[in-house]
Amino acid sequence: MAERDIDPVELLLESARSEAANASFHVTGVMMQYYEACERELWFESRNIEINRENPNVVRGTRVDDTAYGDQRQNLSIDGWIAPDMLDDGRIVEVKPSSSLIEPARLQLLYYLWYLDRVVGVKKDGVLAHPTERKRESVELNEEAIDKVESAIRGIYEIVRNDSPPSATEKSYCDSCAYHDFCWSC
Amino acid sequence: MNDNYHIFSDGRIERHNDTVRLVTEDDDKKYLPIENAEALYLHGQIDFNTRLVSFLNEHGIAMHVFGWNDYYSGSIMPERGQTSGQTVVNQVQAYNDATHRIKIAREIVAGSIHNMRSNVTYYNNRGHEFSSIITDLDRCQDELADTTAVDEVMGVEASARRAYYQIFDKVLPNGFVFNGRAYNPPDNKVNSLISFGNSLVYANIVSAIRATALDPTISYLHEPGERRYSLALDLADLFKPLLTDRVIFRLVNRRQLSVDDFESELNSCLLTESGRKTFSKELEQTLEETVEHPELNKKVSYQYLLRVESYKLKKHLLTGEPYEAFKRWW
Ligand code: SF4
Repeated sequence: MAERDIDPVELLLESARSEAANASFHVTGVMMQYYEACERELWFESRNIEINRENPNVVRGTRVDDTAYGDQRQNLSIDGWIAPDMLDDGRIVEVKPSSSLIEPARLQLLYYLWYLDRVVGVKKDGVLAHPTERKRESVELNEEAIDKVESAIRGIYEIVRNDSPPSATEKSYCDSCAYHDFCWSC
Repeated sequence: MNDNYHIFSDGRIERHNDTVRLVTEDDDKKYLPIENAEALYLHGQIDFNTRLVSFLNEHGIAMHVFGWNDYYSGSIMPERGQTSGQTVVNQVQAYNDATHRIKIAREIVAGSIHNMRSNVTYYNNRGHEFSSIITDLDRCQDELADTTAVDEVMGVEASARRAYYQIFDKVLPNGFVFNGRAYNPPDNKVNSLISFGNSLVYANIVSAIRATALDPTISYLHEPGERRYSLALDLADLFKPLLTDRVIFRLVNRRQLSVDDFESELNSCLLTESGRKTFSKELEQTLEETVEHPELNKKVSYQYLLRVESYKLKKHLLTGEPYEAFKRWW
């Protein structure tokens, strides 16, 4: 297959810029988060595998994210694939319910900044916020961050095109993961 | 969560504002707390309309209809909230691949023989002499490994069940003579209890499968395309010994069910309404019993085990990770 020779980053840019791209490859913010948190979860997400929506942690996660800074931010939906939130001052904000998943949130935010820069052509700064801990941290798209995002895109590409998911490895947040019973039911 | 509501009275069930209301024939009104409902079980003569059906659909609640003769008549299932084309494709591929299909079928029968054996050893340790039945079941387990076609697997399942059902005549008191399984309609009390219990287990599994986006009509042990959801038939075999049979032994031996709970007509014998009530209540309580799950590291209800079983099969089909059927571990 010809697409094997194409760099996934180029493939993603091409898919984002033109509907008619013959091979399409899209990465959502959530996929970035999962790539950092759990590659198996990323594979599940890419296959649309139903999660258990009754899981209280899933419900909690959704609620914190929806209510924090509700009146000062605006959701931008771009190309239907990414949906960053923008503050009144123009910075892109990513809100996380707890600090345990901070790295996944950071990567998602960096991806939004990268996408806005590369696909939309606007440079933005970011802020990572933890409302429950009353902390905010500035995030910017520097060289190192660009490398990080692009290597994540390549990593995601590899995982998603595989026929089977990476095997389950126990992590501290497996207990609160929506796929917990699916992964560990043996 | 996941409550089942059994309705025995005759009357009408309808949508009333944001609830479901039952209006009995003497105009009594009862409201059902649908937020927690997994399924409604209709046992009486009940009318309903399309408004109710779409309301239940919106809330993802199934409705299982129980008739008179062979008990289960059919289900009205909500549309699946999230369909997964990939899941169905993989389900069909596994069915079409003869080696894959027989592997799954064998695993289901291995689990079901294991669970029958677990009931037999329970009574063997309580004053009954069942060692020859245990030997028979172990032989069936061995034969399973040599099967080369699905109907052979079915055959092994049938002979295991025949051996297993011998314990019913020994464990149950005199008024409850069994003499082997008969269907449609059941011809004696024990057959009637098994039929009723198995249809309740079956309906519960139909609900559990629905929660996973697996297609309930694509199965491995039973042939797909039978009148019923054949995947639910596959999985029900695993749980009958734990659910139906234990409930029968308990209710009959504690005299909570007696000969008065049955009515005989010509060559059929059926549970009365009060017998059905007693049985469903006991089964519901059994479904709520919990057990420590060694892999999930938490207590899970028997009802949740049905859901877990659908997860396991779905995971196997999607990831290729091995499927190990439910085998009672406690
Ligand atoms: S349960 Fe653990 S291994 Fe499974 S998807 Fe969730 S985080 Fe990953």
